[in-house]
Amino acid sequence: MTAQLTRPLEGALRGSGGAPAGRRRRPVSLGTVVQYLPVAVIMLVYLFPLAFLLNTALKSNAEFFANPVGIAHTFAFGNFPTAWEKGNFGAYMLNSVLYTLVAAFLGTVCSLLLGFPVSRGYLRHTRLWYGLFVAMLFLPNTLVTQFQLLLRLNLYDTQLGYILIMAAGVGVGPLLVSGYVKSIPRELDEAAALDGVGYWRFVFLFLPPMIKPVLTTVFLLQAIGVWNDIILPTILLPDQAKFPATLGLFAFQGTYSSEWSLLAAATIIVAGPLLVAYVFLQRYLVASVVGSAVKG
Amino acid sequence: MLNSFVFGRRSTLNISFALGLSVIVVFGILPAVAVLVISFTDVRALPYLPVDWVGIENYLSFFSAAHLGYNVNALWNTLVFAFAVTIFQNVIALLLAVLLNQRLRGRTFYRAVVFLPTILGVTVIGLIWSLVFNPSAGPAATVWSWVGANSAFFGDPGMALGLVIFVQIWAGLGIAVVIYLAGLQAISPDLYEISGVDGATAWQKLRWITYPLLAPSITANMLLCIVGSLQSYQLIYVLTGPNNPATQVLSLAIFTSGFGGSSSGGAVQSQGYAAAISMVQFVMVTVISITVLVYLRKREQVL
Repeated sequence: MTAQLTRPLEGALRGSGGAPAGRRRRPVSLGTVVQYLPVAVIMLVYLFPLAFLLNTALKSNAEFFANPVGIAHTFAFGNFPTAWEKGNFGAYMLNSVLYTLVAAFLGTVCSLLLGFPVSRGYLRHTRLWYGLFVAMLFLPNTLVTQFQLLLRLNLYDTQLGYILIMAAGVGVGPLLVSGYVKSIPRELDEAAALDGVGYWRFVFLFLPPMIKPVLTTVFLLQAIGVWNDIILPTILLPDQAKFPATLGLFAFQGTYSSEWSLLAAATIIVAGPLLVAYVFLQRYLVASVVGSAVKG
Repeated sequence: MLNSFVFGRRSTLNISFALGLSVIVVFGILPAVAVLVISFTDVRALPYLPVDWVGIENYLSFFSAAHLGYNVNALWNTLVFAFAVTIFQNVIALLLAVLLNQRLRGRTFYRAVVFLPTILGVTVIGLIWSLVFNPSAGPAATVWSWVGANSAFFGDPGMALGLVIFVQIWAGLGIAVVIYLAGLQAISPDLYEISGVDGATAWQKLRWITYPLLAPSITANMLLCIVGSLQSYQLIYVLTGPNNPATQVLSLAIFTSGFGGSSSGGAVQSQGYAAAISMVQFVMVTVISITVLVYLRKREQVL
C-alpha cells in the first residue's frame, strides 16, 4: 500500500516542483524555514514527553525529588526490575496479547463470514444485510447492557465473556470485506466449485490469501481498539489477575502515585514492546487506517 | 437480488453465516437495542433482584432539578470537547499533511512519530502527560515558574478540560494526518503543473486545487472525529478520573451512574438511568453527525 501510494506522490512532487524549484535550491531559503519550522515544533511536542519519560525512569526516587526536570545522572536501571516485579506486568501483557489476538481474530473471521456472501449476493435480502453493516457503526453506548448480558449469561468476570464482547465490535469490518471482495472475480468461486471445493474450504483456505490486505486491515483496526480499551475491562473484569496491560498500569499508577520514577519505568515496560512492534507494523497500520477511512 | 450459489448445498453457507451473525448480534447489536428497553426499567447491577418497568421515569430524572445541573454540565463539556477536538485536530492535521506531502527530509519518520500515540494506548498516554503536567515537579510547572505562576494543571478546574482536549488531539492527530495524506496523494499532479504554468502562487494552488479536491477526505475526517469525540471517554477517565466536574462528559456520566465510578458502590444503583443517558447521548450524536454530514456533502458539491 505504501509503495503504491508513494508513486503518485513522487509524481506530485515533480509536477508541483516546477515553479518553486528555483527558490528551493538556495541554501536556506525562507520557504525551507516555513516548511521545517512547524514540523520541528510538532516533533518537539511528540518526542519531548517520550524523552522526559525515559529520563524520569532513569532517576532514583531521591534524585527525582531533588531535581525533577534535570537530566538523569544516577542511571537507576533498578527501577525497571522493581516495577516489573511490583506491577506484575508480565501477566497483564500476556492478558492484553491474548484478548487482542483472539478478539481481533474472531472479529475478522465474523467480518469474513458475513461480508463475503453478502457481497456475492449468495443470500436473500442483500440490502437488509448492508443496512445492518452500516447500522453497526452507529450504536449507542452499551456499557450497561453488555455488563447485564454477561452477568446473566454467567460470563461476568470471565476472559471468554470479555473476548466475545470485544470480538463483536467489528465496526467497519464486514463493510470493508464486502467492498474488497468485489475486486475478486466471481469466476474463481465457480472454478473452485467445479473442482469440488466446498464452501467452507473456499472461504477459509482459498479466499483469505486473495483478500489478505483487507483482512489485515480489519484485524489491525480491531486489535488497536481492543489494545486501547480501559473502560470495558474495568466493568467486566474486576478480578485483578485478568486485567489487561492498560488497566494493570492504571492500577499501578493508583498504588504508586507519588513514585514517579517507578511509574515512568512501568510505563516504559508497557510501551517498550509496542514501540518495537510499531517499527515493524507501522506501514500496515497506517495503510489500514487510510483504507478504512476512505471506505467509511 | 439472489445470485445462484455455486458451492452446492446452501446449508454450509447458512451455518457459517449464522455463526458469524450470532456473535455480533448477541454481543453487539442485542445490547445496543436493549439500551432502549432497559432505559424504561430500574434494572440493577445484581442479577437476582426484580426488574420493574418505570416508564419514562429515568428520562424525567435526567431532566429533574436534582440532576439537571450535573447533566447540563456533562452535556456542555461533551460539546466543548468534541467541537474543540474536531476543529483543532482537523486544522492542524490538514496543515501538517500538506507540509508532509512536500519533499521534506525524513517525511516518513515524521509521519510515524505523529501516528505513534495510536498504538501506545490511553494509559501510557495518560501517564506520560500526567508526568509532564505534574503540578509539583513537572517540566510544565518549571516553565510556569519562570513567569512566576503555578497551576494544578489537571487538578485546576479552569484548565483541566483544555488540557484534556490538548492530549486528545495529541493522541488522535496521527490518524487524521494519514487520512489527509492519502487524500492529497490522490490529487492528480497534472493540476499543479498546469496551474504552475498559468502562474498560480503556492497559496492559490492550496486554496483552489488542494482544498476543493480534498473535500471528501475532509468530510470523512470531520465525521470520524465528531462521532468519536462525542463518545470518547477513555483518555479523560485516565487523566482526570470518572467524576471530575471540570471534565465530566456524557459517556463518563453513563459510566459513573451505571457503575459508581471509583468512589461509591455501584451495585445498588439503577442502571436504567445510565441507559437513559446512553439514549440521550445517542440521539445527540445522531442528530449532530447527520447535520454535519448533510452540510459537508452540500459544501463538497458547491466547491
